[in-house]
Amino acid sequence: MTMDNRRKILMVVAALLAVLVITPFSGSYVIVLVTHALIFGILAMSLDILLGYTGLPSLGQAAYLGMGAYLTAVLATRYQFGLDWTFWVVVVLGILIAAATAAFFGLFAIRATGVYFLMITLALGMCVWGLAYRWNSLTGGDNGIVLPPRPEFGIELADDVTYFYLVFGFFAVSLATLYLLVRSPFGHSLVGIRENELRMRILGYNTWLHKYIAFIIAGGYGGLAGVLWAQAHGLVSPEDVILATSVDALLMVVLGGPGTLVGGAIGAGIVVFLREYLSTLVPWWQYVLGGVYVLTILYLPGGLMGLPERIRGSRMPAAVAGEVKSLPSVSH
Amino acid sequence: MLSKIARSLSWGLVAVGLAAGTGMSRESGAAQELRIGFLAPTTGIFAQIGKDMTNGFQMYLDEVKGDFAGAKVKFIVEDEEGKPPVGVRKVEKLIRQDKVHMFIGGLLASTGYALAPVSTRLKTVYVASIPAADDLTQRDSAKFPLLVRTGWTSSQPNHPFGEWACEQGYKRIVAIAADYAFGHEVVGGFQRAFEACGGRIIQKIWPPLGTIDFGPFIPTLKKDADAIFTLMVGPMSLQFPKQLASAGIKKPVLGGGTSYDEFVLPSMGDEVIGHVSALQYSAALETPRNAAFVKKYREKYGKVPSYYSESNYTTAQMIHEVMKKTKGKWPGAEQFVKLLASIQLETARGPVRLDEMKNPVHNVYIRKVERKKLHGYAKDELWNSVVKTYPNVSQFWKFGKAEFLKQPVYSRDFPPCKFCE
Amino acid sequence: MAIRNTGGAAVLELRGLSKNFGGLNAVQGVNLKVFPGDRKAIIGPNGAGKTTLFNVITGVLPASSGAALLFGENITGWPSHRRTALGMARTFQVTSLFPKLTVLDNVLLAIKGLRRSKYVMWRPLSSYRDVHDKARQLLESAGYWDRRDVEVRNLSHGERRQVEIVLGLASDPKILLLDEPAAGLASGESREMAQFLKRLDPGLAILLIEHDMDVVFDVVDHISVLHFGEVVEEGTTASIRASARVQEIYLGTG
Repeated sequence: MTMDNRRKILMVVAALLAVLVITPFSGSYVIVLVTHALIFGILAMSLDILLGYTGLPSLGQAAYLGMGAYLTAVLATRYQFGLDWTFWVVVVLGILIAAATAAFFGLFAIRATGVYFLMITLALGMCVWGLAYRWNSLTGGDNGIVLPPRPEFGIELADDVTYFYLVFGFFAVSLATLYLLVRSPFGHSLVGIRENELRMRILGYNTWLHKYIAFIIAGGYGGLAGVLWAQAHGLVSPEDVILATSVDALLMVVLGGPGTLVGGAIGAGIVVFLREYLSTLVPWWQYVLGGVYVLTILYLPGGLMGLPERIRGSRMPAAVAGEVKSLPSVSH
Repeated sequence: MLSKIARSLSWGLVAVGLAAGTGMSRESGAAQELRIGFLAPTTGIFAQIGKDMTNGFQMYLDEVKGDFAGAKVKFIVEDEEGKPPVGVRKVEKLIRQDKVHMFIGGLLASTGYALAPVSTRLKTVYVASIPAADDLTQRDSAKFPLLVRTGWTSSQPNHPFGEWACEQGYKRIVAIAADYAFGHEVVGGFQRAFEACGGRIIQKIWPPLGTIDFGPFIPTLKKDADAIFTLMVGPMSLQFPKQLASAGIKKPVLGGGTSYDEFVLPSMGDEVIGHVSALQYSAALETPRNAAFVKKYREKYGKVPSYYSESNYTTAQMIHEVMKKTKGKWPGAEQFVKLLASIQLETARGPVRLDEMKNPVHNVYIRKVERKKLHGYAKDELWNSVVKTYPNVSQFWKFGKAEFLKQPVYSRDFPPCKFCE
Repeated sequence: MAIRNTGGAAVLELRGLSKNFGGLNAVQGVNLKVFPGDRKAIIGPNGAGKTTLFNVITGVLPASSGAALLFGENITGWPSHRRTALGMARTFQVTSLFPKLTVLDNVLLAIKGLRRSKYVMWRPLSSYRDVHDKARQLLESAGYWDRRDVEVRNLSHGERRQVEIVLGLASDPKILLLDEPAAGLASGESREMAQFLKRLDPGLAILLIEHDMDVVFDVVDHISVLHFGEVVEEGTTASIRASARVQEIYLGTG
């Protein structure tokens, strides 16, 4: 079991290395897109902790991205902070402010489940959007905030390839730490809560606290994505925190396969590339993307990550094929 | 379970590889090619405006068969959806992948603010044909050396408009305008000029962008005002005059130029007849050049050109003029900006030249909505009849550049509403 | 876990335990002693108050009067999880497992629930040898080690009931309360369940409520008969089997 597991980890690492090595030699636009995809990959993975592992369908993940992004933009433009090595400080602050926001929002959201949780997170997300849109003096309203060029402090982040490496680093660290999290006793308990929360309570778990902690952690990673996004995009605007961004994140996870971490990242890559290239080719690209989502939900409940198993399943006798997992278990 | 991860990842890699492949195949080699990126909202609520923008530019290109003094124009339109972040992503694509020499357009003022820094960062010319955000060519001008505006500043036509309002004998005016930067700048310009000649803005109301039901706002309009100044966008500009009329309010209505633009005018009813607005263009302008432009445009696209069409048509004309000077050779970004900024031209909107901050100096027309026959068309239609022309209006109006730039940019709270009751 | 030196005293003792719902006396003055290794059953017709009695014993419902003692300690007012910590475990009539997780994961969740390490998020669960050893020991003794990677939803109903009991054993209980372990099982499965129960650690005290008399007579050696909330008969299986009163109650003429 562990041998097999090690082989699989090696394959993911190999794939990541391939991205790391190939990307810098691609066109400069592809470098930018891969950077965007990695950032949204972090956001999608953070959401996967909630959706895939804990069974909490959050529709407000953009709020945490927004907190990180606006913090970065406000610090940079109003206080000229984070334009040198203090960039690292901003990364930490971005994670903290998003986690703190999640800690506050979690007090309202965590008691609810299912569609009510969805509605509450949606409403809380809209609050952040409202702030971004209405608090003109701080956020620039619908104009948003244009950031100064990316910091240079020995590491020249203004260079797109350098920035790609940085984002890749953060992505890899996020993936590794989140992987450790879902394999930990705590992550194992989250899956238990997803499957049968009542039983977990009887087994002696404080399920509220578990969900609350998971919510805060997801918020923190969302904040990290926000800081990186602000610097990558050079513009922070209410468009970044609208519902559509949260929905995108949710669909990235669903598309890639909830409860797989890597699935969210793959979903992010597909959505980013599909969106940029399709929208260039055809005006009705949104219907294509929508169709992909609908087909995924209808025919591939395990997302793309569920595909190999699905194929394997169809080769098996009918009785077993009916049992294809929609969500993976925790012991690999 | 991780083998699934690995396998799917390899699929992801294939996708990335494909994308990279298509990216590289778009490289272009022709020496005499002029690549122009064009940003317009071709989907979403602003799609109709986006079409007008694109059509304007395209029509000029068709007239010259895509040839600017020997340079073959490659015209690449991208959908910016009326959203600043999308605009930024598309510009990144146009510059990095299509390697455009310049990019043009964007609709909203906020998109203009978002795109200008990209032009600086990626060292590519940005021709702002529509975004009217004042500061692009005012207080922030120095930050954007590669930006040229061929459109207008939001406040530009509203300075003379304020003076015109004084001439009509209006003393007290209420302002009701969409609550966003463009609305603030339009109202700000009008207020400054109107109060400079002795008028008073006695009330400012800011309905949120996208308001369709003005029920809560209309009754609060001060009854003793002489006129109403308004600036609405999109569906708001259709609804507001209707609801104003059905509330029985018969006061004179003055509007920001886009409120009665030709692209919404055909959808409007008689309730807007008599409404007055100010802009640097009107399709009803009775010059031979404009009459020809309107006829040709209408024949081709089946509708009267809006300022969105005219501005981009004129922009194409101006770029062509520059390329004539360089004999079809791309002069480099900085030189191109310099040449474009020094141009003087007769256009559909009238004579145009650029000031030293690279914003047009052009006529401003005070236009009244009338139902009549024009340009030889048989039917009675709504037109923006020109009632007065202010020639060669600069973005600084009569205030003087230095003094003007000392004041902050027009906003929700500037100029302060010192006569508000 | 606090294991007291009980010196041969009862694991569980009920003293006049009662529960009223408004005017209804669901359980009245039940006295019972369960010693280590005892296998006892409470039987009675539907509505006799068996499940209510279980809920009062396990702390799901508060007692109206009387007392429950666990290892001599009065636990009457205690919440469920404190009783669990002291060595009492129960199973439910309705199977409540984690159907999409494997047998092993189910057991791991049950073991972990009682440990502080459940909050650790920087170390893989697989590195906790003690937890895994415990899971292995439980599954091996229950005969499920070979099928540890099977998802619970792919097990038969009878097997799920057995896994449910394994989960109950994860807290190292000294006494196990089983709420109709054979409910809804086919006769073959009931027999397997009885065999399964008999394989459990002989030192473990078991108190069960059950309708299936074959299972009861097979597994326990002492029976209390509950009728309208009162214990009307108790004794060895043989004496209960022979009791005319019990016959009467079960035939519905009592």
